[in-house]
Amino acid sequence: MYKGREGQWAFLLHRISGLAILVYLLLHVFSIGSMIFGEPFYMKIHNTYDFVLFRLGLVAVVAAVVYHAFNGLRIILMDFTSIGVSVQRQAWYGVLGITALATLYALIKLIPRIAGGY
Amino acid sequence: MTQTPVTDSAVNPQVAAAPVAVDVPMMRLHVKILRFNPETDKKAHWVTYDMEAQPGDRMVDVLNEIKWYKETGLAFRRSCQHGICGSDAMLINGRNRLACKTLVRDVAKDGGTVTVEPIRGLKVEKDLLVDMEPFFDAYRAIMPYFIHPTPFPAKEQYQSEANAEKMAHSSNCILCACCTTSCPIFWVNGSYIGPAALVQAHRFIFDTRDEAKQQRLGVVNQNTGVWRCRTAYNCTEACPRGIPITQLIEEVKREVMFGQS
Repeated sequence: MYKGREGQWAFLLHRISGLAILVYLLLHVFSIGSMIFGEPFYMKIHNTYDFVLFRLGLVAVVAAVVYHAFNGLRIILMDFTSIGVSVQRQAWYGVLGITALATLYALIKLIPRIAGGY
Repeated sequence: MTQTPVTDSAVNPQVAAAPVAVDVPMMRLHVKILRFNPETDKKAHWVTYDMEAQPGDRMVDVLNEIKWYKETGLAFRRSCQHGICGSDAMLINGRNRLACKTLVRDVAKDGGTVTVEPIRGLKVEKDLLVDMEPFFDAYRAIMPYFIHPTPFPAKEQYQSEANAEKMAHSSNCILCACCTTSCPIFWVNGSYIGPAALVQAHRFIFDTRDEAKQQRLGVVNQNTGVWRCRTAYNCTEACPRGIPITQLIEEVKREVMFGQS
Protein backbone atom coordinates (compact mmCIF):
# COMPACT_ATOMS: atom_id res chain seq x y z
CA MET A 1 0.00 0.00 0.00
CA TYR A 2 1.28 3.45 -0.91
CA LYS A 3 2.14 5.39 2.22
CA GLY A 4 0.03 8.42 1.47
CA ARG A 5 -1.07 10.80 4.18
CA GLU A 6 -4.46 12.15 5.25
CA GLY A 7 -5.55 13.21 1.76
CA GLN A 8 -5.22 9.70 0.35
CA TRP A 9 -7.31 8.15 3.15
CA ALA A 10 -9.87 10.93 2.91
CA PHE A 11 -10.25 10.17 -0.80
CA LEU A 12 -10.42 6.41 -0.30
CA LEU A 13 -13.02 6.64 2.50
CA HIS A 14 -15.04 9.11 0.43
CA ARG A 15 -15.10 6.69 -2.50
CA ILE A 16 -15.96 3.65 -0.35
CA SER A 17 -18.66 5.49 1.63
CA GLY A 18 -20.11 6.83 -1.62
CA LEU A 19 -20.37 3.34 -3.12
CA ALA A 20 -21.79 1.97 0.14
CA ILE A 21 -24.49 4.67 0.18
CA LEU A 22 -25.31 3.92 -3.46
CA VAL A 23 -25.75 0.22 -2.72
CA TYR A 24 -27.86 1.06 0.34
CA LEU A 25 -30.03 3.43 -1.70
CA LEU A 26 -30.65 0.88 -4.46
CA LEU A 27 -31.55 -1.73 -1.86
CA HIS A 28 -33.79 0.76 -0.10
CA VAL A 29 -35.64 1.77 -3.27
CA PHE A 30 -36.06 -1.88 -4.24
CA SER A 31 -37.35 -2.86 -0.77
CA ILE A 32 -39.90 -0.06 -0.61
CA GLY A 33 -40.84 -0.53 -4.26
CA SER A 34 -41.36 -4.27 -3.74
CA MET A 35 -44.83 -3.37 -2.46
CA ILE A 36 -45.97 -3.49 -6.08
CA PHE A 37 -45.46 -7.27 -5.96
CA GLY A 38 -47.85 -7.51 -3.01
CA GLU A 39 -47.59 -7.38 0.74
CA PRO A 40 -46.33 -10.94 1.36
CA PHE A 41 -43.29 -10.33 -0.86
CA TYR A 42 -42.69 -6.94 0.79
CA MET A 43 -42.85 -8.49 4.25
CA LYS A 44 -40.60 -11.37 3.28
CA ILE A 45 -37.87 -8.92 2.26
CA HIS A 46 -38.34 -6.81 5.34
CA ASN A 47 -38.17 -9.80 7.64
CA THR A 48 -34.70 -10.59 6.31
CA TYR A 49 -33.63 -7.15 7.50
CA ASP A 50 -34.11 -8.42 11.03
CA PHE A 51 -30.82 -10.32 10.59
CA VAL A 52 -28.26 -8.91 13.03
CA LEU A 53 -25.87 -7.66 10.33
CA PHE A 54 -28.62 -5.50 8.84
CA ARG A 55 -29.41 -4.09 12.29
CA LEU A 56 -25.78 -3.16 12.81
CA GLY A 57 -25.75 -1.84 9.25
CA LEU A 58 -28.01 1.00 10.33
CA VAL A 59 -25.13 2.45 12.33
CA ALA A 60 -22.79 1.97 9.36
CA VAL A 61 -25.22 3.83 7.09
CA VAL A 62 -25.25 6.79 9.46
CA ALA A 63 -21.44 6.77 9.58
CA ALA A 64 -21.13 6.58 5.78
CA VAL A 65 -23.70 9.31 5.10
CA VAL A 66 -22.29 11.72 7.69
CA TYR A 67 -18.69 11.14 6.54
CA HIS A 68 -19.59 11.51 2.87
CA ALA A 69 -21.62 14.66 3.50
CA PHE A 70 -19.07 16.48 5.61
CA ASN A 71 -16.08 15.39 3.52
CA GLY A 72 -18.05 16.63 0.53
CA LEU A 73 -18.18 20.06 2.19
CA ARG A 74 -14.42 19.79 2.74
CA ILE A 75 -13.95 19.08 -0.98
CA ILE A 76 -16.16 22.03 -1.96
CA LEU A 77 -14.06 24.22 0.33
CA MET A 78 -10.85 22.98 -1.35
CA ASP A 79 -12.23 23.39 -4.87
CA PHE A 80 -13.45 26.93 -4.36
CA THR A 81 -10.97 28.47 -1.93
CA SER A 82 -7.22 28.28 -1.51
CA ILE A 83 -7.76 28.35 2.27
CA GLY A 84 -9.56 25.02 1.91
CA VAL A 85 -6.41 23.48 0.45
CA SER A 86 -4.15 24.86 3.16
CA VAL A 87 -6.35 23.52 5.99
CA GLN A 88 -7.39 20.27 4.28
CA ARG A 89 -5.65 18.09 6.85
CA GLN A 90 -7.27 19.79 9.85
CA ALA A 91 -10.60 19.82 8.01
CA TRP A 92 -10.36 16.06 7.55
CA TYR A 93 -9.79 15.48 11.26
CA GLY A 94 -12.84 17.68 11.86
CA VAL A 95 -14.86 15.50 9.47
CA LEU A 96 -13.68 12.36 11.28
CA GLY A 97 -14.63 13.88 14.64
CA ILE A 98 -18.13 14.79 13.48
CA THR A 99 -18.54 11.32 11.95
CA ALA A 100 -17.44 9.65 15.17
CA LEU A 101 -19.87 11.73 17.25
CA ALA A 102 -22.77 11.08 14.88
CA THR A 103 -22.00 7.36 14.78
CA LEU A 104 -21.85 7.21 18.56
CA TYR A 105 -25.18 9.04 18.84
CA ALA A 106 -26.76 6.68 16.30
CA LEU A 107 -25.37 3.68 18.14
CA ILE A 108 -26.82 4.82 21.47
CA LYS A 109 -30.19 5.60 19.88
CA LEU A 110 -30.27 2.31 18.01
CA ILE A 111 -29.20 0.00 20.84
CA PRO A 112 -32.81 -1.13 21.57
CA ARG A 113 -33.35 -1.85 17.88
CA ILE A 114 -30.02 -3.69 17.50
CA ALA A 115 -30.62 -5.72 20.66
CA GLY A 116 -34.30 -6.41 20.26
CA GLY A 117 -35.04 -6.30 16.56
CA TYR A 118 -38.41 -5.07 15.33
CA MET B 1 28.55 4.25 0.51
CA THR B 2 30.45 1.34 1.92
CA GLN B 3 34.14 1.68 2.52
CA THR B 4 35.47 0.48 -0.78
CA PRO B 5 39.01 -0.82 -1.18
CA VAL B 6 41.26 1.28 -3.39
CA THR B 7 41.40 -1.50 -5.95
CA ASP B 8 37.70 -1.03 -6.76
CA SER B 9 38.37 2.05 -8.82
CA ALA B 10 40.65 -0.13 -10.92
CA VAL B 11 37.73 -2.51 -11.56
CA ASN B 12 35.67 0.32 -12.98
CA PRO B 13 38.09 3.08 -14.01
CA GLN B 14 35.26 5.51 -14.94
CA VAL B 15 34.15 5.54 -11.36
CA ALA B 16 36.39 7.25 -8.92
CA ALA B 17 35.99 5.92 -5.40
CA ALA B 18 33.91 8.37 -3.42
CA PRO B 19 35.63 9.92 -0.43
CA VAL B 20 34.59 8.22 2.77
CA ALA B 21 34.49 10.04 6.08
CA VAL B 22 36.32 7.50 8.23
CA ASP B 23 35.00 8.60 11.61
CA VAL B 24 31.31 8.27 10.69
CA PRO B 25 29.91 4.89 11.80
CA MET B 26 28.56 2.67 9.05
CA MET B 27 24.98 1.43 9.05
CA ARG B 28 24.00 -2.10 8.12
CA LEU B 29 21.15 -2.09 5.70
CA HIS B 30 18.92 -4.65 3.96
CA VAL B 31 17.98 -3.18 0.61
CA LYS B 32 14.93 -5.01 -0.74
CA ILE B 33 14.46 -4.35 -4.43
CA LEU B 34 11.48 -5.39 -6.54
CA ARG B 35 13.25 -6.88 -9.54
CA PHE B 36 11.88 -7.90 -12.90
CA ASN B 37 13.64 -9.21 -15.96
CA PRO B 38 11.28 -9.32 -18.97
CA GLU B 39 13.39 -12.05 -20.60
CA THR B 40 13.22 -14.56 -17.77
CA ASP B 41 10.53 -13.51 -15.27
CA LYS B 42 6.77 -13.69 -15.51
CA LYS B 43 6.34 -11.70 -12.33
CA ALA B 44 8.39 -9.20 -10.37
CA HIS B 45 10.09 -10.59 -7.28
CA TRP B 46 11.91 -9.21 -4.24
CA VAL B 47 15.66 -9.54 -3.91
CA THR B 48 17.41 -8.40 -0.74
CA TYR B 49 20.96 -7.05 -0.72
CA ASP B 50 22.88 -6.67 2.52
CA MET B 51 24.72 -3.39 2.35
CA GLU B 52 26.65 -0.98 4.47
CA ALA B 53 26.19 2.73 4.16
CA GLN B 54 26.86 5.93 6.04
CA PRO B 55 23.77 7.68 7.41
CA GLY B 56 24.44 10.65 5.14
CA ASP B 57 24.70 8.59 1.97
CA ARG B 58 21.91 8.91 -0.55
CA MET B 59 19.85 5.98 -1.73
CA VAL B 60 21.28 6.45 -5.21
CA ASP B 61 24.75 5.84 -3.76
CA VAL B 62 23.54 2.56 -2.28
CA LEU B 63 21.94 1.50 -5.57
CA ASN B 64 25.12 2.43 -7.45
CA GLU B 65 27.07 0.34 -4.98
CA ILE B 66 24.80 -2.64 -5.67
CA LYS B 67 25.04 -2.14 -9.42
CA TRP B 68 28.80 -1.66 -9.51
CA TYR B 69 29.90 -4.31 -7.05
CA LYS B 70 27.08 -6.80 -6.43
CA GLU B 71 24.58 -7.05 -9.23
CA THR B 72 25.65 -5.45 -12.48
CA GLY B 73 22.38 -6.36 -14.16
CA LEU B 74 20.32 -4.07 -11.92
CA ALA B 75 18.54 -1.51 -14.10
CA PHE B 76 17.59 1.95 -12.89
CA ARG B 77 17.76 5.44 -14.31
CA ARG B 78 19.96 8.17 -12.93
CA SER B 79 21.83 10.97 -14.56
CA CYS B 80 22.80 14.13 -12.70
CA GLN B 81 22.21 12.52 -9.27
CA HIS B 82 21.70 15.96 -7.77
CA GLY B 83 17.92 16.36 -7.92
CA ILE B 84 17.85 18.35 -11.15
CA CYS B 85 17.36 15.89 -14.02
CA GLY B 86 14.51 13.96 -12.38
CA SER B 87 15.63 10.55 -13.65
CA ASP B 88 15.72 8.48 -10.47
CA ALA B 89 12.16 8.65 -9.20
CA MET B 90 11.30 5.42 -7.41
CA LEU B 91 9.06 4.06 -4.69
CA ILE B 92 11.30 3.99 -1.62
CA ASN B 93 9.74 2.65 1.58
CA GLY B 94 6.26 3.05 0.15
CA ARG B 95 6.61 6.66 -1.00
CA ASN B 96 7.69 8.17 -4.28
CA ARG B 97 11.03 9.92 -3.93
CA LEU B 98 14.14 10.79 -5.91
CA ALA B 99 16.86 8.32 -4.89
CA CYS B 100 19.41 11.14 -5.14
CA LYS B 101 17.53 13.34 -2.67
CA THR B 102 16.80 10.61 -0.14
CA LEU B 103 19.33 10.09 2.63
CA VAL B 104 19.77 6.61 4.06
CA ARG B 105 19.24 7.88 7.62
CA ASP B 106 15.81 9.23 6.66
CA VAL B 107 14.50 5.87 5.44
CA ALA B 108 16.24 3.27 7.62
CA LYS B 109 17.70 2.57 11.02
CA ASP B 110 20.88 0.57 11.57
CA GLY B 111 20.11 -3.06 10.68
CA GLY B 112 16.80 -2.06 9.11
CA THR B 113 15.24 -2.74 5.72
CA VAL B 114 14.62 -0.32 2.88
CA THR B 115 12.24 -1.33 0.09
CA VAL B 116 12.78 -0.01 -3.41
CA GLU B 117 10.15 -0.47 -6.14
CA PRO B 118 9.57 1.05 -9.56
CA ILE B 119 7.09 3.94 -9.70
CA ARG B 120 3.51 2.75 -10.25
CA GLY B 121 1.09 3.15 -13.12
CA LEU B 122 3.72 2.93 -15.88
CA LYS B 123 4.84 -0.30 -17.53
CA VAL B 124 7.95 -1.78 -15.94
CA GLU B 125 10.58 -2.52 -18.58
CA LYS B 126 13.23 -3.91 -16.26
CA ASP B 127 13.76 -3.69 -12.48
CA LEU B 128 13.27 -0.02 -11.55
CA LEU B 129 13.11 1.17 -15.14
CA VAL B 130 9.64 2.08 -16.42
CA ASP B 131 8.32 3.19 -19.79
CA MET B 132 8.00 6.98 -19.41
CA GLU B 133 6.40 7.50 -22.84
CA PRO B 134 2.75 7.75 -21.61
CA PHE B 135 3.93 10.30 -19.06
CA PHE B 136 5.58 12.43 -21.72
CA ASP B 137 2.57 12.01 -24.04
CA ALA B 138 0.46 13.69 -21.36
CA TYR B 139 3.11 16.41 -21.05
CA ARG B 140 3.03 17.03 -24.81
CA ALA B 141 -0.78 17.14 -24.79
CA ILE B 142 -0.89 20.40 -22.84
CA MET B 143 1.44 22.07 -25.40
CA PRO B 144 4.35 22.86 -23.09
CA TYR B 145 5.77 25.69 -25.15
CA PHE B 146 5.20 29.40 -25.55
CA ILE B 147 2.47 30.20 -28.11
CA HIS B 148 2.38 33.74 -29.44
CA PRO B 149 0.74 34.05 -32.89
CA THR B 150 0.64 37.87 -32.90
CA PRO B 151 3.92 39.57 -33.81
CA PHE B 152 6.08 40.34 -30.80
CA PRO B 153 6.17 44.02 -29.78
CA ALA B 154 9.34 45.90 -30.68
CA LYS B 155 10.09 46.56 -27.04
CA GLU B 156 10.57 44.17 -24.16
CA GLN B 157 7.52 42.20 -23.02
CA TYR B 158 7.19 43.31 -19.46
CA GLN B 159 6.63 40.64 -16.83
CA SER B 160 5.74 42.08 -13.44
CA GLU B 161 6.91 40.47 -10.23
CA ALA B 162 3.32 39.73 -9.27
CA ASN B 163 2.71 37.96 -12.60
CA ALA B 164 5.97 36.01 -12.36
CA GLU B 165 4.94 34.94 -8.86
CA LYS B 166 1.82 33.22 -10.27
CA MET B 167 3.99 30.64 -12.03
CA ALA B 168 6.88 30.61 -9.56
CA HIS B 169 5.95 27.15 -8.27
CA SER B 170 4.83 25.52 -11.50
CA SER B 171 8.02 26.48 -13.33
CA ASN B 172 10.04 24.51 -10.75
CA CYS B 173 8.88 21.13 -12.11
CA ILE B 174 11.63 18.74 -13.28
CA LEU B 175 9.26 16.12 -14.80
CA CYS B 176 10.46 13.29 -12.58
CA ALA B 177 6.96 11.71 -12.48
CA CYS B 178 6.98 11.33 -8.68
CA CYS B 179 3.60 13.10 -8.55
CA THR B 180 1.80 11.45 -11.45
CA THR B 181 2.80 7.94 -10.35
CA SER B 182 1.71 8.58 -6.75
CA CYS B 183 -1.82 9.47 -7.87
CA PRO B 184 -4.43 6.77 -7.11
CA ILE B 185 -6.51 7.96 -10.06
CA PHE B 186 -3.57 7.60 -12.46
CA TRP B 187 -2.90 4.03 -11.21
CA VAL B 188 -6.35 2.89 -12.30
CA ASN B 189 -6.89 5.26 -15.22
CA GLY B 190 -3.79 5.75 -17.34
CA SER B 191 -5.61 8.14 -19.67
CA TYR B 192 -5.71 10.81 -16.93
CA ILE B 193 -3.03 13.30 -17.92
CA GLY B 194 -1.87 13.46 -14.31
CA PRO B 195 -0.53 16.07 -11.90
CA ALA B 196 2.76 16.73 -13.71
CA ALA B 197 1.05 17.68 -16.97
CA LEU B 198 -1.42 19.84 -15.04
CA VAL B 199 1.42 21.63 -13.27
CA GLN B 200 2.96 22.30 -16.69
CA ALA B 201 -0.41 23.50 -17.98
CA HIS B 202 -0.61 25.84 -14.96
CA ARG B 203 2.81 27.23 -15.84
CA PHE B 204 1.58 28.39 -19.27
CA ILE B 205 -2.04 29.20 -18.37
CA PHE B 206 -0.85 31.69 -15.76
CA ASP B 207 1.89 33.17 -17.96
CA THR B 208 0.50 36.56 -19.01
CA ARG B 209 2.69 36.60 -22.13
CA ASP B 210 1.28 33.37 -23.53
CA GLU B 211 -1.62 33.64 -25.98
CA ALA B 212 -2.98 30.08 -26.04
CA LYS B 213 -4.62 30.09 -22.61
CA GLN B 214 -8.08 29.20 -23.94
CA GLN B 215 -6.66 26.31 -26.01
CA ARG B 216 -4.88 24.92 -22.96
CA LEU B 217 -7.98 25.33 -20.78
CA GLY B 218 -9.80 23.35 -23.47
CA VAL B 219 -7.28 20.53 -23.19
CA VAL B 220 -7.42 20.31 -19.40
CA ASN B 221 -11.23 20.58 -19.44
CA GLN B 222 -11.52 17.25 -21.30
CA ASN B 223 -12.61 14.18 -19.37
CA THR B 224 -8.99 12.99 -19.12
CA GLY B 225 -8.00 16.36 -17.69
CA VAL B 226 -8.20 18.36 -14.52
CA TRP B 227 -11.56 16.99 -13.30
CA ARG B 228 -10.02 13.53 -12.74
CA CYS B 229 -8.17 15.07 -9.79
CA ARG B 230 -9.86 13.84 -6.61
CA THR B 231 -7.56 15.78 -4.28
CA ALA B 232 -5.78 12.85 -2.64
CA TYR B 233 -2.70 15.06 -2.08
CA ASN B 234 -0.24 12.21 -2.76
CA CYS B 235 1.29 14.34 -5.53
CA THR B 236 1.93 17.26 -3.19
CA GLU B 237 3.51 14.96 -0.59
CA ALA B 238 5.69 13.25 -3.21
CA CYS B 239 7.04 16.28 -5.09
CA PRO B 240 10.81 16.46 -4.51
CA ARG B 241 10.73 20.14 -5.54
CA GLY B 242 8.17 21.08 -2.89
CA ILE B 243 5.62 22.25 -5.45
CA PRO B 244 2.15 22.63 -3.86
CA ILE B 245 0.70 20.57 -6.72
CA THR B 246 -2.87 20.10 -5.48
CA GLN B 247 -3.15 23.82 -4.88
CA LEU B 248 -2.00 24.51 -8.46
CA ILE B 249 -4.44 21.94 -9.87
CA GLU B 250 -7.27 23.58 -7.89
CA GLU B 251 -6.23 26.94 -9.39
CA VAL B 252 -6.45 25.39 -12.86
CA LYS B 253 -9.92 24.01 -12.01
CA ARG B 254 -11.08 27.47 -10.95
CA GLU B 255 -9.55 29.01 -14.07
CA VAL B 256 -11.50 26.51 -16.22
CA MET B 257 -14.71 27.39 -14.35
CA PHE B 258 -14.34 31.14 -14.17
CA GLY B 259 -11.68 32.08 -16.72
CA GLN B 260 -12.84 30.16 -19.76
CA SER B 261 -14.46 32.27 -22.45
